Amino acid sequence: MELALVTREIRRDLIDSDLTTCKYQDLTQVGINLPYIIKGIDTHEQGMKDFLFTLGCFEGEKITVISVLAENYIIHLKDARYSIDADLARAILV
Amino acid sequence: MKVALAGNPNSGKTTLFNAITGKIEHVGNWPGVTVAKKEGDVKKSLHSSGKKIRVVDLPGAYSMSPFTSEEGITSSFVKNENPDVIINIVDATNLSRSLFFTTQLLELGIPIVIALNKSDLLRKKGIDIDTGALERKLGCQVVETVSTQGEGLAGLIAKAVSAYGKNQEAPFRSAGVFDETDKNAVLAADRERFAFVDRLVKEIEVRKIASSKQTRQDAIDRIIAHRIWGIPIFAAVIYLVFSISQRYVGPFLADFFVGWIDSLYTMVEGLMGGGRVSPLLAALLLDGIIGGVGAVVGFLPLIMVLFFLLALLDDCGYMARVAVVMDRHLKKVGLSGKSIIPMVIGTGCAIPGIMATRTIRDEKQRRTTAMLTPFMPCGAKLPVIALFAGIFFQDAAWIGVSMYFAAIAIIIVGALIVQKITQEGPSKSYFIMELPDYRFPSMKRAFVSMMARAQSFIVKAATIILVCNAVVHIMQTFTWSFQVVEEGLASTSILASIAGPVAFLLIPLGFGVWQLAAAAVTGFIAKENVVGTLAVVYGIGNFIDTEGLNLVSGAGDVASIMGLTSVAALAYLIFNLFTPPCFAAIGAMNAEMDSRKWLWAGVGFQFGMGYTVAYFVYQVGTLLTTGSFGAGVIPGLIVVALMVGIIAYLINKTDKKAHTGVKAAV
Repeated sequence: MELALVTREIRRDLIDSDLTTCKYQDLTQVGINLPYIIKGIDTHEQGMKDFLFTLGCFEGEKITVISVLAENYIIHLKDARYSIDADLARAILV
Repeated sequence: MKVALAGNPNSGKTTLFNAITGKIEHVGNWPGVTVAKKEGDVKKSLHSSGKKIRVVDLPGAYSMSPFTSEEGITSSFVKNENPDVIINIVDATNLSRSLFFTTQLLELGIPIVIALNKSDLLRKKGIDIDTGALERKLGCQVVETVSTQGEGLAGLIAKAVSAYGKNQEAPFRSAGVFDETDKNAVLAADRERFAFVDRLVKEIEVRKIASSKQTRQDAIDRIIAHRIWGIPIFAAVIYLVFSISQRYVGPFLADFFVGWIDSLYTMVEGLMGGGRVSPLLAALLLDGIIGGVGAVVGFLPLIMVLFFLLALLDDCGYMARVAVVMDRHLKKVGLSGKSIIPMVIGTGCAIPGIMATRTIRDEKQRRTTAMLTPFMPCGAKLPVIALFAGIFFQDAAWIGVSMYFAAIAIIIVGALIVQKITQEGPSKSYFIMELPDYRFPSMKRAFVSMMARAQSFIVKAATIILVCNAVVHIMQTFTWSFQVVEEGLASTSILASIAGPVAFLLIPLGFGVWQLAAAAVTGFIAKENVVGTLAVVYGIGNFIDTEGLNLVSGAGDVASIMGLTSVAALAYLIFNLFTPPCFAAIGAMNAEMDSRKWLWAGVGFQFGMGYTVAYFVYQVGTLLTTGSFGAGVIPGLIVVALMVGIIAYLINKTDKKAHTGVKAAV
């Protein structure tokens, strides 16, 4: 588990080193069951950003990772639970 | 009067629609089951005015801005068709998200009635909602409903009728007029809207239990949707479903049922006895129609038990977890996580499954999913599975289970091949799905869903399958010169001469006789036909209670009448399951793919896949069981090699194209 975490972080460094967002964590790196405030959505796909917005997933909203299942993250957002995949979890910065 | 039902995905719109119209549209306990609008009239028992009220069920949407095409249907319907009243179904346990959409609907000026649905869950979740305050704040009527139990529906309809023709004021309107194409202005306005909803919810709702805490649900999820255990658990569940329906309850019920069909046969035989009716006509009616349709309908009890159990699984929230488990496997082969939804729906019928691919935004993923969804064993294929499991494998439940897993394996391999040919990199799409709460499955809902399936099964048996069996029987009875086929010269019949060349191609698969080829061909009209045609061509009235039958040609059992080894039977089953689906499903593929090239490639791929898998099952299986290959091993290998060659050529071509593309870029 720890090893996996390390490789993920190394890979993130490779990808995101030029982004200013790297000072934030994403949802794959946060603690379980702790409330976080969303700092930004890091995706180039505007459609996805818009869609997340309609769920109430945007800067300033509270978000909690409830559990991690089979590489999917169960998140709690505005009283609803969603299962999101790791790619999407990586795009949500807190 | 026209009423539209609108609300977030999985808020229970279709359940409410079914409850107020008495229709039985397919419901799933997960978002995205409804992809097209559905219409019906309100049941007479729910309103006394006698006025006709037309209800339209729309696909779920989170907002009025269309992001997926099913949301597009919703917003364009609401904007263009001007319903007289909108019933906004709101999940009472999730106001802070749902009311975002509500405030947008309220701006349209159409009277809104809010159905505060799932209100039975409020107490369980420790939530208090001040409905009166909500009504005042929003300026519209609010009715608490429990659509799954039919509570509050009459009140809802009454309020909707009384709202007719009234004005609707919007409690929140985006400040000032702004340019809708200006992204930032829209975003800022929507932020304000969310803030408005947050303030509103704070005033009217009290939550005693924080919903962000882990619950027992999460503990269950961690086991059921486990990274490693998820798939074995799914296999075990499907195994249980099959063993209950196929080995225990199903055959028990089927015995009664087949008894009735047999007595109908005897009764009709008696009525036509004594030479009053031409023997040809009598044979057509008895062996062609009653025998053929009866053989299919004989599987009805078994199928019903199976559908009942699958409906229970869906209802309790398990299928949504299966989607979570399968997601990453599908993503590795270039499919969208959303592809699993069409495939699960496809286990009922491939047509709604293929239609559900509409929710996939990426065109290539959508087409690939539409092409692969029919591999999932649908309801029509179940009698075929049950027949072969029953005759050749002593009703073993593992046959059914392995067909589902073979389908999954074929879908994954198929997706890989398509990915290689179309040169798509690993999927970039995202998967997000609202996880429904686990709930105790409703026997009533499962029963209703089962009866709906049973009804369509019977309708199909009484129409398409009846006609097909009659035609098959006639073609089998006559020669091309319209003479009755002579005893012992069955191969001179029209049917035999048409199916003969097809049978020739099937020799390497272990079932190269015209009877089996004919059954496979009629299977393209409807898969149940495979069972019906086999019954007609082999003159077997039923496949379930075979002990009491007078078997023809002195054979000991049905298996030896067909002259198939278990391995060849398995190959035949696989061939029927994994070649192209029925024509109706191919039509649905055509509609969703919207490309002739993709359609032909898809159908060709399905043929190739079915042929190749059946070939290897038969030849390798025969080698293992008898020590030598079966008939036609070399010609079959040439055919398979040719197909593999075409695929390899296509992959190679795209590789080259990619290379030259890179060179050009350099």
